[in-house]
Amino acid sequence: MEASELLQLVIAGLKNGSIYALLALGFTIVYAATNVINFAQGEFYMLGGMLAVFAFSGLNVPLVAAVALAVVTVAGIGALFERLAIRPRKDADPMALIIITVGGSLVFASVARHLFGSDALPLPEFTPGPSFVFAGAAIERQTIWIWVIVTATVIGLTLLYNRTRLGRAMRACMENREAARLMGIDTARVVMVSFALAAALGALAGVAVTPLTSTRFDIGAGIAVKGFAAAILGGLGSPLAAVAGGLLLGLIEQAVIPFSSVLKDVVALAVLLLVLFVRPQGLFRRTRKEKV
Amino acid sequence: MGMLSVQGITKRFGGLTAVDAVSFEVHEGTIHAIIGPNGAGKSTAFNLLTGFEKPDAGTVSFEGATITGMRPHRIVRLGLVRTFQNTVLFDDMTVLENVLVGMHVRTRAGFIGSALALPRVRTEERLAAEEAHRLLRLVDLGEVADARAGDLPHGRRRLLEIARALGSRPRLMLLDEPAAGLNNAETAQLAETLRRVRDSGVTIVVVEHDMGLVMDVSDEIVVLNEGRKIAEGPPLLIQKDPAVIEAYLGEEAVDA
Amino acid sequence: MAAVPATRTLRWALAAIAGGLVLAAPFVVTDKYLLRILTFVGINLIMVAGLSLLFGYAGQISLGHAAFYGLGAYTSGFLAKLGVAWPLALVAGVAAAALGGLLLALPSLRLKGHYLAMATLGFGEIMLFFFTETEVITGGSNGLRGIPPAGLGPLVADTPQTKYLLVWAVACVVLLLAANVVRRRPGRALRAIHGSEMAAQACGIDTVRMKVQVFVISAALGGLSGVLYAHYVGFISPSTFTLHYSLVLVTMVALGGMGSLAGAVAGTVLLTMLPYADAIIPGLSRATVELLQDWESDIHGMVLILVMLFMPGGLAGWGRSFLARISVRRARSAGGDA
Ligand SMILES: Nc1ncnc2c1ncn2[C@@H]1O[C@H](COP(=O)(O)OP(=O)(O)OP(=O)(O)O)[C@@H](O)[C@H]1O
Ligand SMILES: [Mg+2]
Repeated sequence: MEASELLQLVIAGLKNGSIYALLALGFTIVYAATNVINFAQGEFYMLGGMLAVFAFSGLNVPLVAAVALAVVTVAGIGALFERLAIRPRKDADPMALIIITVGGSLVFASVARHLFGSDALPLPEFTPGPSFVFAGAAIERQTIWIWVIVTATVIGLTLLYNRTRLGRAMRACMENREAARLMGIDTARVVMVSFALAAALGALAGVAVTPLTSTRFDIGAGIAVKGFAAAILGGLGSPLAAVAGGLLLGLIEQAVIPFSSVLKDVVALAVLLLVLFVRPQGLFRRTRKEKV
Repeated sequence: MGMLSVQGITKRFGGLTAVDAVSFEVHEGTIHAIIGPNGAGKSTAFNLLTGFEKPDAGTVSFEGATITGMRPHRIVRLGLVRTFQNTVLFDDMTVLENVLVGMHVRTRAGFIGSALALPRVRTEERLAAEEAHRLLRLVDLGEVADARAGDLPHGRRRLLEIARALGSRPRLMLLDEPAAGLNNAETAQLAETLRRVRDSGVTIVVVEHDMGLVMDVSDEIVVLNEGRKIAEGPPLLIQKDPAVIEAYLGEEAVDA
Repeated sequence: MAAVPATRTLRWALAAIAGGLVLAAPFVVTDKYLLRILTFVGINLIMVAGLSLLFGYAGQISLGHAAFYGLGAYTSGFLAKLGVAWPLALVAGVAAAALGGLLLALPSLRLKGHYLAMATLGFGEIMLFFFTETEVITGGSNGLRGIPPAGLGPLVADTPQTKYLLVWAVACVVLLLAANVVRRRPGRALRAIHGSEMAAQACGIDTVRMKVQVFVISAALGGLSGVLYAHYVGFISPSTFTLHYSLVLVTMVALGGMGSLAGAVAGTVLLTMLPYADAIIPGLSRATVELLQDWESDIHGMVLILVMLFMPGGLAGWGRSFLARISVRRARSAGGDA
């Protein structure tokens, strides 16, 4: 294989991986705050794209505003979902919460179909134009945007966690929820913010990728599995590990392509099962024993 | 050698040595107590004896067989059964069903036999239910057999857990703080139940903070502190043991 | 105390009535559409009986049960098309699903809650990938056509009535066997594992073995259901064996109530019939039915959420409190007589 082809694969890997990273961040943030895996995370991604398309093509809002509107609306949906469906049973056994989020994913996908139909919907690139060429490999402008968004997200989250009261409260909850509660942290608020933030990140990923792939009401489940595979690669513990997991998964997927392009679609699933079965604590974390 | 022989068992959690080279023997037909301040390693010792944790060093043998590192259900099959400090019942099942689950190792019916409702399975079920009722009467829970276990008040939950443990017809029973949260009358009833159980041929090891109960029922006491055994002997001697007094006074001084 | 035999009699009476109705249906029902829907109810019941054991009783969630359905359907359909006799194809289909269950169960044993949910979901998606991609066997996304109807020698279930009877005969046997299991020792052990794995071990239950067994049984029943489905419709394609179907199955069990076979049956009947409500409720307008079909997923999702929020006992919980009220009333009137 030529160097430029290799580079092309790496670029594609880092592009998809960035999307997985944003979803993985969503899973990780919610899990850290609640010990819930939100099976509706993929639907936030779908809704992000859908609402942006709707605002842009349906309401004729400028693209930037459409994107912002979509992300904010989905964040609101996330917070509302937490308030109405999760909080009332927050102390129930994990099974009940899994089922609630599964129900949520069904409802979100289905309502999106009622509202926006079942066709694939396109969105223009943020900044249309020819791809950049770098060492013989092409980089679409939208890919650059995706990278910018991921980088900005990581910086933003770092600032949030280190510089703000809310972020420090979120971190305290991540370390030890009980202790955080005893220290007087409003854990209910942290949980709601976490859902909103996770939803916003999912939506952001969905919006960023829709110009390249278009969107449909039923794409949530597929991307959620990939995002979760990335999150679990990262160990579901730290946000940075989630990003690393996402990028790694994107690269692994591309690494398979030279051998078989069909297999690309199962790579994430295979990684998911492999990690769950062999190293459920993720690649970067040491085992933690639970107390009997 | 005793019925249960513990040789130098050690358990470390990270930097903390929760149980540190502890050895003791339990003789058949006695009530043995393990006492010690909070965090002394008593529950961890139980976990090591019953297969819920694997010791980092040391051996445990029960009636001549080495049981170190065996999985919990196999240890139960050999006749060594335990209860939990925080009483873990099957809340969504009835009181009777809880005891029937406790009798799991003494019944045989599998999926196929049960599905086909073979005569031997039906007989086994009937006999098991009769015995479960008998065990419930032994701990004075006879009249609530059909209640949901989750609906029982605390004191009765403790008793049910003992009845469930007796369901396996154990030779040795380990009870982790059975009197925690009980009032005086209930504690007295518990002491009575323990003696009855011992007299029926079940050896007992009990972890307990209620010193009245411990001094009342036990034949032999092991004292743990910070994972180490600091004393061992009959109640009267233990009460006077300077190391024990020191350990407990130290704790009270901190509490105060 | 009199209340207990009373509910037991009631239960048997209900079972007898239900059995009579089930057997009489194909002779009374002339509407082919309704008969078809009822046959699907039977097929789903077998599937859900298995899921109920695994999820409703043992508390081990599976979001990938459609995979076992597919394994049974494809294995049996493929073999039958090669000319293998139906009973053999059936055994092979069930065995393939059971093997799949075993292969998934063994590495999943350590996993709980979300992790198990994700592992089973991933397994389901991987199997779906294979159903779509191994074209030589499965016909790929075009599906497998011309699967012969079930039969043994000259006895062939090739009319709507005989197909119905075959499916329901199997469903009744499966439900009877499952009902026998859940109220005896293995059923209690499964519920104990659901309650607390640690306490179950302390009671001497080999939780690992139990979980593997129930996983395999559950998968085998899924396979059995898939076999019946394949030979009933004669054409199978990957679009049947999706995550969505797995979630519908979970919804049926959850609506029925965890730890209740009767509840799971009720949930299955209700949710399977729902989009075809016009077949049993005369006078229901076409528009209403279309609305129900269009909103089916929303209904499933809302059922999952609302059941978890407001009626964790599901339909069975309602049934139980209803029976309890009856027996209290009986006890009271009996007390009044004395
Ligand atoms: N799984 C575990 N992981 C880490 N540390 C543990 C674990 N289990 C116990 N410990 C620690 O080991 C020490 C001994 O705990 P253990 O529960 O055995 O004490 P105990 O004597 O039963 O105390 P109590 O009277 O409060 O029940 C404690 O410091 C505890 O925090
Ligand atoms: Mg303890």
